[in-house]
Amino acid sequence: MPYLPTSQAYLEQSAQLLQAYPETTRITTKYNFPTTRPGNAKRIQKSQAKKNSKENATTQTLAAPIATLTLKTFNPGTGICIQYRTNKAQEVSRLITSLGKLAAGADVAGLGLGNAAPVGDVEMVDAPAPAAVEEAGSGKGPAQGQAGGKGKKKGGKGKR
Amino acid sequence: MAPHTSHDEFFSSLTDLLSKTTSQAHGSVYLSQKPLIDVPGATTTNSQPSILIRATDGNTNAPNPKKESKDGKITKSASKATKIKLSTVVTPDDLEAFYARYAEVCKAGMTGLKKRDRRAKKAKTKGGAAKATKA
Repeated sequence: MPYLPTSQAYLEQSAQLLQAYPETTRITTKYNFPTTRPGNAKRIQKSQAKKNSKENATTQTLAAPIATLTLKTFNPGTGICIQYRTNKAQEVSRLITSLGKLAAGADVAGLGLGNAAPVGDVEMVDAPAPAAVEEAGSGKGPAQGQAGGKGKKKGGKGKR
Repeated sequence: MAPHTSHDEFFSSLTDLLSKTTSQAHGSVYLSQKPLIDVPGATTTNSQPSILIRATDGNTNAPNPKKESKDGKITKSASKATKIKLSTVVTPDDLEAFYARYAEVCKAGMTGLKKRDRRAKKAKTKGGAAKATKA
C-alpha cells in the first residue's frame, strides 16, 4: 500500500480501520536512520565532496543523516495496511498523541483533527464533520475517506 | 519473553534506546501498539481492552532464542548478540496519562528528524507556506 500524503488522511483512515477491526489491527511506529551500506556511504561521500568543491568548501561539515518516522496501521486478517512517513520533528508529539486517541478507540470525529484549523473556521469545520462520521458509520472504502479529508482541507483554505 | 515492565521502567529504557540510536545515527527503533485481547482470566467484554506497547531495536543479527538451545554456540560479538525488547501494558484508565508521557519521550528522543527551524526558512516564501499547510 502506498504512503498517504497527509497525516490527517492517515489518522482518519486508521480510525476507520480500527473501528472495523478493533481487536486485530495494530499500529507500528518505526524511527529509523537511512542504511549505510558500504557502497551507499561512498556515494554519499562522493556527492558531498562534489557539493563542497562547488560551494568553495563553505559547508565542510558532513550533514548528519536525517531519520524518518514511519507510521503503519496494519490489519493482518484483511491485509489492509495504511502508512504515513515523515521526517519532521515537530509532528512527533501530535502524532503520538493521536495514536493514543486511536488506542482509546476514538472515531474519526473523536480525533479532534478539526481543532487544528484556525478559530475563524469553526463553522466550516463543523459542516463536513458529520459527513465524515456518516462515512465511517456506513463503512465505505478508504478512498472515500481520503476524498473527505481533502474536501475539508480545501474548505479551510478558501475561508482564509 | 521477558515479562512486561512498569511504565517507569519502559520509559527509561525507551529513552536510552532512542538516544543510543540517535547518537549512532544508524539503526531503527520499532514501536508497536495493539489491544491485548487473549489474556486468560481477563474479562474485556464490558469495557475497552488494555493496550500492549512494545519497543524493539529490530536487531535481526541476534540469535533466534528458539534455535539457540539447539546450537548452543554464540559466535557474534556482544553488541550484536542481544536484541532489545521492551513491553508494557496500559490499562484503558491510564491511556491518556501514558500517551502524554509517551509523546514527550518520543519527542525528546527522536532528535534525528528534521528540526523545525530549517523548515521555517523554507516556509517564508509563499509557495513554501502553502506547501507547509498541506503537509
